[in-house]
Amino acid sequence: MDQAPIIGSANNTDNEEIHCVAPQGRLDALSVPEFEDDLRSQLSQGSAHIIVNFQDVTYISSSGLRALLTARRIAKNQGGDVKLCQLSLRVYEIFEMVGFTQVFGIYDSLEAAQAAFS
Amino acid sequence: MSVDVSMGIKRTLTVPGCFESLAAIADFIAETGLDAGFDQDTIFHVQMAVDEACSNVIEHAYDWQEPGKINLQCDCQGQEWVVVIHDTGTPFDPALVPEPNLNASLEDIKTGGLGLYFMRQLMDQVEFTFDAEKGNKLRMIKREV
Repeated sequence: MDQAPIIGSANNTDNEEIHCVAPQGRLDALSVPEFEDDLRSQLSQGSAHIIVNFQDVTYISSSGLRALLTARRIAKNQGGDVKLCQLSLRVYEIFEMVGFTQVFGIYDSLEAAQAAFS
Repeated sequence: MSVDVSMGIKRTLTVPGCFESLAAIADFIAETGLDAGFDQDTIFHVQMAVDEACSNVIEHAYDWQEPGKINLQCDCQGQEWVVVIHDTGTPFDPALVPEPNLNASLEDIKTGGLGLYFMRQLMDQVEFTFDAEKGNKLRMIKREV
């Protein structure tokens, strides 16, 4: 996976920083450790508001879902959340199959995900 | 090149049992499904079930030893797609894998066994067998609706 881990950050109306992670391609058992490291790196630096932009993700395996769930737990403990945006229909189908569409805030656009942190 | 599917399609692939093989396995499944005339939904579901199955083999069956090979066999006849996955790693007993508790509160969801859950959700039949000489054999069947 050619991963561009961080594509930027923004601030919400409370002036809290929101970090965006943008994995690319297949999030399978090979690429998930790197994705997990990116999420952990953000969270260990105290960032609690994370957006994962799925625009360029074609597939996510159960290991990717586990990584997201773990990141969400840590973010919640730090007073934040992990929100997702721009999922393809295929990727959304995977989330739906295990009920994760009820677990994560999922948005059509990056802007909508950012606005949801305000 | 057009493929004559009237007699069905049989394909095999043998790859090293490592995570680097997963993309090639996904390509193999996609190509086989397309040549056999399956629709995109069916191909995607088989791809995902096979990805989860092979990830389990790599992570659990070959976790303690020099990785062996993973052998995949596809047999597509009409609307039915049979995938058989062989490995020679640690014997696998699916009964020892707990079902993921997807009904737990959102904060307490346990995701162990999620791969096996996907395989059973996506495929019409999932059977594990182990032979001391031949190793683990997973046979999955998908029927296009």
